[in-house]
Amino acid sequence: MTAVTSAPATAPSISLTSGQLPRWIEPALAIGTAVVVAAVLLVIQLFNPAVWLILTAVFYLIAISVGSGIVEGRRKAVDRVVRGLVVCAFVLAVAPLISTLWTVVAQGLKVLTWDFVTKPGGSVFDPNTLAVTNTPGALQAVVGTLIITGIAALISVPIGILAAVYLTEYALPSNPLRRVITFLVDVMTGIPSIVAGLFAFSLFALIVGPKAFSGFSASIALCVLMIPIVIRSTEEMIRLVPNELREASLALGVPRATTIIKVVLRTAASGIVTGVVLAVARVVGETAPIFIAASFTDNFNADPFSGPMQTLPVMAYTAYSFPGKDIEASQAQAWGAALLLVIVVVIFNLIARIVAKAFAPKSR
Amino acid sequence: MLARSPLPPPAGGQTKDAHTCEIKSGIVTDVAQTGDAPDRLVGKRRAGDRFFLGLSTTAAASIMVILAGVAIFLILKGLPAITANWDTNNDLAGYQNKHWGSFGNYVLPMLWGSIWSALIALVLGAPVAIGIALFISHYAPRRLASALAYVVDLLAAVPSIVFGLWGIIVMRPFLLPLADFLNQYLGWIPLFQGPVSSTGSTMLAGGVVLAVMILPIVTALTREIFLQTPRLNEEAALALGATRWEMIKLAVFPYARSGMVSAILLGLGRALGETMAIALIISPSLLFSVKLLTDGFNSQTIAANIALNFPIATDIQRSALIGTGLMLFVVSLAVNMIARGILGRSERKGRTSSKMGKRA
Amino acid sequence: MKLNRITTIGAAGALAAIALAGCSATPSSTSTESSSAMPTSSAVTSKVDASLTGTITSGGSSAQANAQAAWTAAYNAQAKGVTVNYDKSQGSGGGVTNFLSGAYDFAGSDSPLNADQTTQSKALCTEGGINIPVYLDGVSIVFNVPGVTDLKLSGETIAKIFSLKITDWSDPAITKDNGTALPAGKITTVARSDGSGTTANFTNYLAGTQSSVWTYPAGKDWPVEGDVSKQKGGSGVVQAVEAGTGTIGYADHSAIGKLASASILQDGKPVAFSPEGVSKTFDVAAVDASNGVKGDLSKKFDYSKLTAETYPIPLVSYAIACTTFKTPAQAKLVTSYIGFIDSTVGQQIAVKNAGAAPLPDSVLKAAQESLATIK
Repeated sequence: MTAVTSAPATAPSISLTSGQLPRWIEPALAIGTAVVVAAVLLVIQLFNPAVWLILTAVFYLIAISVGSGIVEGRRKAVDRVVRGLVVCAFVLAVAPLISTLWTVVAQGLKVLTWDFVTKPGGSVFDPNTLAVTNTPGALQAVVGTLIITGIAALISVPIGILAAVYLTEYALPSNPLRRVITFLVDVMTGIPSIVAGLFAFSLFALIVGPKAFSGFSASIALCVLMIPIVIRSTEEMIRLVPNELREASLALGVPRATTIIKVVLRTAASGIVTGVVLAVARVVGETAPIFIAASFTDNFNADPFSGPMQTLPVMAYTAYSFPGKDIEASQAQAWGAALLLVIVVVIFNLIARIVAKAFAPKSR
Repeated sequence: MLARSPLPPPAGGQTKDAHTCEIKSGIVTDVAQTGDAPDRLVGKRRAGDRFFLGLSTTAAASIMVILAGVAIFLILKGLPAITANWDTNNDLAGYQNKHWGSFGNYVLPMLWGSIWSALIALVLGAPVAIGIALFISHYAPRRLASALAYVVDLLAAVPSIVFGLWGIIVMRPFLLPLADFLNQYLGWIPLFQGPVSSTGSTMLAGGVVLAVMILPIVTALTREIFLQTPRLNEEAALALGATRWEMIKLAVFPYARSGMVSAILLGLGRALGETMAIALIISPSLLFSVKLLTDGFNSQTIAANIALNFPIATDIQRSALIGTGLMLFVVSLAVNMIARGILGRSERKGRTSSKMGKRA
Repeated sequence: MKLNRITTIGAAGALAAIALAGCSATPSSTSTESSSAMPTSSAVTSKVDASLTGTITSGGSSAQANAQAAWTAAYNAQAKGVTVNYDKSQGSGGGVTNFLSGAYDFAGSDSPLNADQTTQSKALCTEGGINIPVYLDGVSIVFNVPGVTDLKLSGETIAKIFSLKITDWSDPAITKDNGTALPAGKITTVARSDGSGTTANFTNYLAGTQSSVWTYPAGKDWPVEGDVSKQKGGSGVVQAVEAGTGTIGYADHSAIGKLASASILQDGKPVAFSPEGVSKTFDVAAVDASNGVKGDLSKKFDYSKLTAETYPIPLVSYAIACTTFKTPAQAKLVTSYIGFIDSTVGQQIAVKNAGAAPLPDSVLKAAQESLATIK
């Protein structure tokens, strides 16, 4: 056969990147849209940050979907739009979160001295001028927070993890107890925090008598709020452990309980720790149940079984809502207490992460 | 979910495969030779297993006890007000300056308020949370992802007071121009009607702050679940030419569906029960309303109402407030049932298509 | 026990010297009891026994909160073994409920026990609980109108503004009251969203003096519906008024911070808030409204007796205590504390540290007598 000798000299060379938008198209289009929308809003004098951001996002998404649809095809266009949406979600989420953290830090830093953290609040009375000067201090609140949340965690975490283990590992789907408990856990997530506080206080009033304010009763209230979160998240994490691991372990003759503890829970460790951290984080910032069950006090009290106790969020709430004569000083103290709380949680998070890393199987 | 039958006793010498019988016979014989040992081992296993099983069952049962306790408490304390005559009782006849006539009339507007505010929070917050979870697990570079995950986790710990204060100081003024804009150009929609607030104490501000508050919980849980998707599935999808979004649709979402619903329900629970932030931010009224931008037409929520009125309430009024708490309890129950029902149905449908068999 | 004037001046001088030398304040160093710094012949004094020990559990009204904190500090300076817990987050209603259940030794409340509650208290204390006035303050009308530092309003205008009948700052009624016209702008009224004694006192005044304009009932919950911005707590109202423009609201005077307070026209003359003005109001307008228990000192205000020197919107807060305690020691402790509060010095402490007004001496004397009957 004669070979076709004429090479198509004038055939267009198809580059590797044909049918694709250039790599820089997304950021470029985003910036471009932002500038255009800003210009238009300024011209019609309707500029404000919220509207600008929303319109930029909307027009960017429209532009990228149309442009990409024409050049690259529908599937790729959808992919780009989703990427745009996800980045929008990122911006939408990060902005208020950073703003909140920034507000707490900026407002609270002025008050956060070493004395503030290590000394309880006090007041000094001068009988000549009849003036009472308050020295701000948060030690009573820090100790109260650690004690109340610590006891609550000590009770809730084991109960939560064990209950989750029961629900996922031991109970058959047909077991009515399992359906009932799953349902009840769902219900528990919806209890308003103030109702939990009322319940704990009434329980203790029944047991102890009328003067039932104590740190322990506040811990019970917090348990009611924490347990469903621990159970829910632990359940989900245990479910995600691949069956092969369980089956391999059981096939090797490892007893059921040991399989669960050493294989399943260890594999799910990091997720379970996240769940525990979430649950603790949720309750460490509660105010309503604390001041219903543990009353309010400014005094230092380290005994969880008798007498009112103060926690950092309660200190922040009362300093803000019931300020002293110097309103700004009180508000600054409120922010200081809030910042201290965030710091306590950061430290707790770090410790939890280290613990999770220690427990998790090394292959990850 | 995982139905486990007890381990079969060691098969003493009985194997189907003659070939393996020879290879295995030594092992089998060894086991048989140690005679009592397997029985003792089995005995120990059972005791340890039984103990652990007992422990777990007790823990699970204690949930029922706690919840029964809370329910009984709510019913006992709330019943006096629910059954009282709201026309003749001095404290209830004009409670909060309105003649209600019955407990139902009192609680219904607030029930609407709780549901409405939680709905707004979910509509604004859940997609963002899932988006950011996706971003952390699939779109972001590694280091940015872990830093971001850490920041989001941190935010779960910020007290609701702080969100309330942040809402007052930052969010209310920020949303005012937006409120004016929406009222001017989209005022024909009932949501955006009404005399626009000048202090910003609107349902919109409250809803946005609530959304920010439920973000950390929903994001953290969803992120963990997304991260657990088997890489093989993801890589298989990508290898077949799927775009990133299609890969997520094919490999991640089906795996994560029940987890996402759990996470959203947790967020919903938080939103329904949120007290302090709403009490600080929104200017409440006891009426049915869907308006988002006003001062005087924001439906009050049950939890915030309890917080605002409990301190000054008399005994029977406290009972009425606890009764409203009971109603909230019941509603959250109903919502969860519906969600679980929908999830259950879709799971059963989904099981016919090929899944990786991770669900029993 | 009264120190004579020379000894007092000498002691005060010595103390001042020590204080100026920069030592930490240990106020009980030189005198065994601290009474008034400058005793006058009609001052009501109360001796604090420095050997007392124990715990006082109390709570209630948040209006008293700052004063209670100051009183606790001053009391502790003399009776170091006593712990006083006052829970200000409970509110007046919570305080009364906890008092009736026996959880509190005394309750702070902006309104005295009503008939039902008095009957209930008889189960706790054989004769019933008594209400003793401990704190006096006023409700301020705060505003934030750009360019306006001084605002004069008559009671009728206030009633019309807060019932949403006047909606613009340039309204002729406001111009007439104020003397000059204000720049036009929407009026946004800011009220309390939580039940509060401040609202009760303010609506009492409006219903009592402007019944033709203010047709709503007096009570702890703000009754007006419509375009009203309701905020949580007095601090919430103050914050909202400060942050908004054209806003007007009401709050306890001790909580208003830097906001300007309107002068209220009485008989054509503007009356600004002052502690003396409020004390005078109590003097002339407070009428006995005893609940029947011996020693009770509940008061009601007769607004028809207001003059051009009295600030028209006063706020009285009570300490509600039992006539019989479980143990005589506890009775001694609580009467010592409340007695300290209801002394001239105690009232001055509240004035200085909490922005309150001092209760007149006649009431203080009656209070001391009532306290003496508690066992």
